[in-house]
Amino acid sequence: MSEAAVPAGREGPPYEAAGRDGSGAPPALGVGPGRPGVAEARRPPVVGSTPSFLAGAARVFDLSLGEMLWSRRTIFMALVVGSPVLLAIVARVVQASGLAPLRVNGVRVEAASMFGMMIWVLFLRFIVPVLGVFYGTALVADEVEDKTITYLFTRPIRRGAVLVGKYMAYFACTTFVVLPAVMLVYFLLVPFGEIPGSFVSLLTDLGILALGIAAYGALFALVGAVLKRPLVVGLVFAFGWEQAAMLIPGYLRRFTVSYYIQSLVPHAMPADGGVASLLQFVFTDTPSAAVSIVMLLAITGFSLFLAVRAIERREYVLEQ
Amino acid sequence: MTKRTRLFFFVTVGILVAGLGTGAVASYMGIQNLVLIGRDGPVELAYVPADARVVAFANVREVMDSELRQKLMQLNPGATDGPDKFREETGIDIHSDVDQVIASMSGEATTPENARPLVLVRGRFDNARIESLVRQQGGQPSDYQGTRFLTHPENGFALAFVEPGLVAVGTATAVRRAIDTKASGDNVTGNAEVMRHVKDIDDGNAWVVGRFDALTGGTQLPAELAKQLPAISWFSASGTVNGGVRGVIRAEARDDAAANDLRDVVRGFIALARMQVGQRAEFAELMNSLELGGQGKDVSIGFAVPSELIDALSAMRALRPQPREAQPELEPNLKPWPAPAL
Repeated sequence: MSEAAVPAGREGPPYEAAGRDGSGAPPALGVGPGRPGVAEARRPPVVGSTPSFLAGAARVFDLSLGEMLWSRRTIFMALVVGSPVLLAIVARVVQASGLAPLRVNGVRVEAASMFGMMIWVLFLRFIVPVLGVFYGTALVADEVEDKTITYLFTRPIRRGAVLVGKYMAYFACTTFVVLPAVMLVYFLLVPFGEIPGSFVSLLTDLGILALGIAAYGALFALVGAVLKRPLVVGLVFAFGWEQAAMLIPGYLRRFTVSYYIQSLVPHAMPADGGVASLLQFVFTDTPSAAVSIVMLLAITGFSLFLAVRAIERREYVLEQ
Repeated sequence: MTKRTRLFFFVTVGILVAGLGTGAVASYMGIQNLVLIGRDGPVELAYVPADARVVAFANVREVMDSELRQKLMQLNPGATDGPDKFREETGIDIHSDVDQVIASMSGEATTPENARPLVLVRGRFDNARIESLVRQQGGQPSDYQGTRFLTHPENGFALAFVEPGLVAVGTATAVRRAIDTKASGDNVTGNAEVMRHVKDIDDGNAWVVGRFDALTGGTQLPAELAKQLPAISWFSASGTVNGGVRGVIRAEARDDAAANDLRDVVRGFIALARMQVGQRAEFAELMNSLELGGQGKDVSIGFAVPSELIDALSAMRALRPQPREAQPELEPNLKPWPAPAL
């Protein structure tokens, strides 16, 4: 047996409910029944107080931020984002003992280069896509899986505002975890005397990471809004399609997000070795910075637009 | 938003703001202005004029007490001429009286006067004994800016007790200038270029920083060799002496291309050294310690001479046959036949 979620929040009965965290705080979304098991605080019905799209999104943002931040996924995010910080601490300790933390062909890799490699390999190629997949696909899929999407859709706000609010919460949550982690890694790895020479690169890195988080999050939010099992599809896209397309000569790489992100990375590629030669071949054909930024913003905007359209038109069937 | 969510964002935003603020200040105000965070070099730099082209520092106490020095003294017990001569001239015993030495050369290296260093020696001195010794050698005492000043009119040598436990030694002009520099405050710590290099390497018990033309501009290097050297503007070296020696030599090239050329040259020398050393296990650790580094205009090579290598060299020296006594003159009738004329 299955039940269909109420198509749009406007038709829902105008009840006020207790906060979703069970704290008894005033509900963030205004009207609608409380969650099962949560005591309802019955109040006089509020009629005709439908907020605007942005106001609705802001309310969902406010509600989702705490939920997203203090969920079990946060442990995963802490592990993923904490590992580069841990690596940087180890590198710093090794460096302080007079040894080279990283050597390539007997040549010591400088701290600024190590930082660049960590941004390139760990953050842009792994952490940002992984967070995008796990959080982006979960924006809608988690509510469907937990059968709580009904409660969101019965609020007097547009369904699209729910998605946008959750996306904003995802962006704030991941950005304010990833960027401080990058900052810590930078100050752990780069000697103080080298900061003036590399600080502009750090700012560029932070900007690229924010763009990457936005683009991947929007893309996987679309996947989550459209597909029933979005996590598998997201992982295949991020670590199958994106990696393979980047290695295939031709125009296929233009259908990846990483193609536009990596063209913005300010750090020079390593110059020696066979793998580096392959990488140099792969990254020879890169778009200009302006094109990359425009494309990443377009991917973000278009994906979010399609996701909003999908969530407003689709009827979610909740399996019992 | 709950209280702990607000706290979380307060902390993360704080990290971001602190990091960005520190980076911005370091980038746009200059790293040397962050004295609280960066090292500012030894306090004796207050006597070094702002136009210094070479500055060197040695923590003599640490070097003298090091295990390495004890080993070297055992290897070469008669090598004490330099310190003894210095003691004869100044009354200062480097082995026991001196803690730190700062040496510098200022101005252009075109005059012989500027080619001689100013040396600032910190330690425990018997001023009266030093003064009487200098007087015995013909030195004349005087006062300059309230500082006891001893000059030797023949060789131009001068010594001044600039602070309790600190003497300045050098030419009379250089020592007077050091006293003036301290009084005016216009010293080398205001020279951003020198201090940038000093702060980078001020972590060993001996270091030197200098403009490369201080080496090539004077008579120190043959002109032909100087022409072959890559375009280097600054050089620096730092070392830590304990059981062994760990150090790094850095060069700042004039541009990225020159730095790349220099890296290629150093890489070639490292490869050549590896070939020469071959399978000799005692040198393997030294070769493995060589680290070529640097970014942009900077080139650096790090090295470590482990105490095991010093021990191995000592053992090799001990095993080497002692030089024979001088051969007696051959008797006239045993002299070799002259080569036949062709």
